[in-house]
Amino acid sequence: MSAVSRPADPVEDYVAALTAALHGPARAKTRMIEEIRDGLADTVAAYADDGVPYRRAAHQAVREFGTPDELVESCQRELTIAQARHTARAVALTAPLLVACWYLARTAHRGDVWQLPHTAQLLAVHLAAIATVAALLAAVTLAVTGSLARRLPTPRRLPLAVAWAGTTASVAMAVATLALATASLLAVNWPLLAFAGVLAASSHAAVAASARACRRCARIPAVRPTVPGPCA
Amino acid sequence: MRADAVRGHLDGLLLAVLEPGPLHGYAIIAAVQQRSGGALELRTGTIYPALNRLERLGLLSSSWQSSGERRRRCYELTDAGRQTLAGERTAWNEFTAAIGSVLNPAAPPGLPT
Repeated sequence: MSAVSRPADPVEDYVAALTAALHGPARAKTRMIEEIRDGLADTVAAYADDGVPYRRAAHQAVREFGTPDELVESCQRELTIAQARHTARAVALTAPLLVACWYLARTAHRGDVWQLPHTAQLLAVHLAAIATVAALLAAVTLAVTGSLARRLPTPRRLPLAVAWAGTTASVAMAVATLALATASLLAVNWPLLAFAGVLAASSHAAVAASARACRRCARIPAVRPTVPGPCA
Repeated sequence: MRADAVRGHLDGLLLAVLEPGPLHGYAIIAAVQQRSGGALELRTGTIYPALNRLERLGLLSSSWQSSGERRRRCYELTDAGRQTLAGERTAWNEFTAAIGSVLNPAAPPGLPT
């Protein structure tokens, strides 16, 4: 069996290099890459219309676009902010659910002989406080990275702060899931507590994945070291 | 004009070429180069993240539009974008007037020529 080697397409190589280097929400990344690919295709087509052969046109288009390293910095900055907003939205939507879960847990034993243990009640207060702080930070993030960013500079470390707020909220949700699952085994009104546990587990799954992706984006250095070429 | 000199003015350039109506990415690049007579040395790939940022700030809106068999993302100015462009123009005129008056001083009134 012989391998047939085709000459590499400069446009596809360029797009592949960008795809490998960029990290962020799948939809935002796909959209950005597709737009860049379209722009390159249009540039190549414009040169081809002037009679330039495809490969030369493709090389020229890629040269005009700038090196992938030159593009990665600004593209990644946008994708990191997009990921921070994604995580902030997840936290802002699910953190109030955690407070609601504990409210359900409190009401579950109302009128019953069985009471939620004191330790669990104390834990609930702390977890609800964590959820509230995380939700507030998420709301601030959504505001300062949205239209408010026209007037205020976006703090450089905000994505990292959101990533860790999301991580903390997701841990709180995991602890709440365990506590609610244990309580549902002991409680008389167990279906309500089990429902609250499922709600907390779903919230944990949604926030943990987004917070992990946000930590990864926030760790990427803003400026990548570039290897000087022979002409540098 | 070098790419790093243009970088600080990229937002204003993008908003200005979108003032007449919606354009897609390549048409925006072509409009900037056409208006500048090819004098601006722009890393054309950098306009895509810039367009994304301007959209996030609410200065542009975008939508997919079909052109033959292809779909392209077209951008247009929002009301906030028009206001920002007006502000950019004012700031630029004031800046060039101030620098121009230093580089090319006119004879101060009242002095003998």
